[in-house]
Amino acid sequence: MKLFLSMVFLGVAAVSLAHAAGTDGEISFEYHRYEELRKALVSVWLQCPTITRIYTIGESFEGREMLVLEMTDNPGTHEPGEPEFKYIANMHGNEAVGRELLIYLAQYLCNQYQQGNETIIDLVHNTRIHLMPSMNPDGFEKAASQVMSQHDTPGEIKDWFVGRSNAQGVDLNRNFPDLDRIIYVNEREGGANNHLLQNMKKAVDENTKLAPESKAVIHWIMDIPFVLSANLHGGDVVANYPYDETRTGSTHEYSASPDDVMFKSLARAYSIYNPVMSDQHRAPCRKTDDDTSFKEGITNGGAWYSVPGGMQDFNYLSSNCFEITLELSCDKFPSEDSLKLYWEQNRNSLVNYIEQVHRGVKGFVRDHQGNPISNATISVEGIDHDLTTAKDGDYWRLLAPGNFKVAASAPGYLTVIKKVAVAYSPATRVDFELESLMERKEEEREELMDWWKMMSETLNF
Amino acid sequence: MASRCVGLLLLFQLLALNAVSHISAFPTPTAPSDDKTLYNRQLTEEKPLQEQMVEADSVKAAVQSAESRRPTAAKDTESQQDSDDLTVLKSLADSQKSQDSAMAPVKKDDQYIPDESDSTKSRRLAEDYDSTKTGMDDGKYQEDPESFRQVDGTMLTAEDIVQKIANKIYEEDDRGVFDRIVSKLLKLGLITDGQADTLEYQVAEALQDLITKNAKKNEIDDVESNDQEIRGEQDDQGSDVNLDTWEPPRRRYNDDEEDEAEDEDEIEDEVDRDVEEDGADAADGALDKDAAGGNEVSPEDGLQDLQYFPNFYRLLRSLNSEKDSQERETLITIMKTLIDFVKMMVKYGTITPEEGVSYLENLDAMIAMQTKNKLGKSLLPDFIGPNGKLLDEDDNTKAEAAKMQKEYENLKDSTKEEQPSSETNTPGKSEAYLEAIRKNIEWLKKHNKEEGKDDYDLSKLKDFMDQQVDSYIDKGIIARDEGDTIKRIYGSL
Repeated sequence: MKLFLSMVFLGVAAVSLAHAAGTDGEISFEYHRYEELRKALVSVWLQCPTITRIYTIGESFEGREMLVLEMTDNPGTHEPGEPEFKYIANMHGNEAVGRELLIYLAQYLCNQYQQGNETIIDLVHNTRIHLMPSMNPDGFEKAASQVMSQHDTPGEIKDWFVGRSNAQGVDLNRNFPDLDRIIYVNEREGGANNHLLQNMKKAVDENTKLAPESKAVIHWIMDIPFVLSANLHGGDVVANYPYDETRTGSTHEYSASPDDVMFKSLARAYSIYNPVMSDQHRAPCRKTDDDTSFKEGITNGGAWYSVPGGMQDFNYLSSNCFEITLELSCDKFPSEDSLKLYWEQNRNSLVNYIEQVHRGVKGFVRDHQGNPISNATISVEGIDHDLTTAKDGDYWRLLAPGNFKVAASAPGYLTVIKKVAVAYSPATRVDFELESLMERKEEEREELMDWWKMMSETLNF
Repeated sequence: MASRCVGLLLLFQLLALNAVSHISAFPTPTAPSDDKTLYNRQLTEEKPLQEQMVEADSVKAAVQSAESRRPTAAKDTESQQDSDDLTVLKSLADSQKSQDSAMAPVKKDDQYIPDESDSTKSRRLAEDYDSTKTGMDDGKYQEDPESFRQVDGTMLTAEDIVQKIANKIYEEDDRGVFDRIVSKLLKLGLITDGQADTLEYQVAEALQDLITKNAKKNEIDDVESNDQEIRGEQDDQGSDVNLDTWEPPRRRYNDDEEDEAEDEDEIEDEVDRDVEEDGADAADGALDKDAAGGNEVSPEDGLQDLQYFPNFYRLLRSLNSEKDSQERETLITIMKTLIDFVKMMVKYGTITPEEGVSYLENLDAMIAMQTKNKLGKSLLPDFIGPNGKLLDEDDNTKAEAAKMQKEYENLKDSTKEEQPSSETNTPGKSEAYLEAIRKNIEWLKKHNKEEGKDDYDLSKLKDFMDQQVDSYIDKGIIARDEGDTIKRIYGSL
């Protein structure tokens, strides 16, 4: 009898322990303040030092480091041909779920890698994944203090705004240079269809309106040739894709980008694994919300509501990176015991979305001597959005399944066009060898000389 | 000056947290129906930034006051919202009006400069109440709606009110003002008893600042005449008389506080007193100063606080010329605030007394070091003093600052009351790191076995990790002591 009782007691104790701080094997589901965030990332690095590296892209206004954990087989360098991916969360400091999810994701990827999960191992070996749990650590501290101090009033009023903006009061997701306006003009009157920020460094460094956090991210985008990205928010549940700012300036209007088809596919790739997001019959977060633009858990940004100066569109229009915005929770700063549930809802989506980076066409652009041509233009017929090759001549062009004509061109070289049939996945490898104009001239000259020689021999000049 | 910058940085960090704690003084009672419409608007349509911000303010105004309820129609104009703000503040002002002194124009509180990060600005506001408002700030705010205006209006308004009350009390020299206001607020159900206590403390603090500042302002005029007295030997009698007039008012204010608070305030008084003693420009009458060098540790006052700040007082003494008086004053205020803050934390149990003490000790050590490094003057002829670590830290300026920063971060984090404090303690951290390293080693062993390689090279791994750790320390990603912990763990494998 005693033995039985003690066993029951042990069982109960074990169960209650497991539930005590919502754990899932090795992940502990709780909120991380700045110090705890740092500690968590350092722990992941210590556990998986051969595939991870921590770095910082700069400091927030109040001096907190904007930490990034990168995960790849050779951390610290860009391997030619390896696509770069990023997740950024918590740019609104009071939207806390994304921040936590990225910490759990880091722990999860490290654990799964060590436990031999093939999918994860392949993903880590073939991608360079960058995770920034918090773009606005100052705002988070404000929001978290507000929430923590509310614990004595069980009615939990969480301020919809406290901690949203950075320490200067700047809403970071309205703080990026507004390139949408420029692209809309160029659509009508002709002009560049990408890389719209002229004199990048100068424009950014001399712009006094930019918050330090925005500046740091812009430099980061310029330095690393990101291919795919997502920006994690809270306050609703949907995957939002470009353009965010409406063409006509109205408050709601579907504003398609040239890559509308691909973006829908990307957004769906996230929402499909999130049971809440993809639930057609989900009630809106608030009774009076207008979610008519949400279809299958995705929405065009402009159709939902117009957002000027956002980070998502800035990525698309200033660099080669495709970014979507993920809203992950109705409640911006939910209670800690719901974090485990959010992780379960989002884990598969998060991993699957990273895998989307291996789609479309990719390859190298080189000259006839095998030297890489950087900054060559990659254009696809029918899609008015060109990309450029990175320093090693490598490029990644995300495309939905179909037949395409892909052209590679560079100043001083002859353009080459290739026909490609693109499957859903994996990416189709297409390399280009460009002949420089000089070479062609040389060839022609030689041909001419040969002809002349032949003629002169025949005719006895 | 560097030490001022240092102090200001600390104060700014402090005030950031202090401001945060202000929020708890004014809770927001639920107003569900109103809030729903607001939330909806945020998501379904994009409003012009200006309107959003103003609306955010009115949300706060609405839930703060029992009187003004926002109309549920979502089409409020900006002016309406502004006038709502005015109404709220005016009603509070009115409650004091009955004590027949006209308040400073309420309107200016709307356009309070929202830059919390600059602590000196928020401090100066107390003085602004006594001077004509220029209205310059109004223009600045209105012309540039996208400037750095904080959306979190709650904090600003609360601090305003604290300042206003403190001001009132100071002007009327009557503690009853506070009682009247607080009882009214309690009656209206705007604050709870706990918050009333907090408010009282905050008002006392603000009042203390007011007194100090105004005293100093008056003192500066009397510099010449008092020069003799402050430099020479002091007259204890005179000092006591003067102090007596300060003490009773302060004691009165603190009557209702709990015992701990009372102890603290007594210590506070003494700190005040001592600080005022140090003020080169003495108050009217003859405030004393122990010029004989016994200032470092003042045993007669029995102040355990002061013996932790020998460097600070030496620094103050080194700033004893007239033109430095301003900085001196600022430094004193900063230091006082820091001490009070730490005391408050201890009082509320957020940190243990030992932590508070060690924090202050580190602070003092850092002051010494920074003074030496930045100002090029050493505060001590010999470096051995109570802070033996001075010698060791010569090369670790950054590390010390980082350490202090980290300690401060630790303190900040420990305001999370539901979490066990082990999260932010060093033992907890090194445990987690140890665990992580262990997992790595296990994986390496298994991995190499599977691939048929030879046993991994531990010393190479250790070297690699050491190198990485060092580079992380340089970049500020981990603190030096954490790095040492990690190296130690690897060393012991």
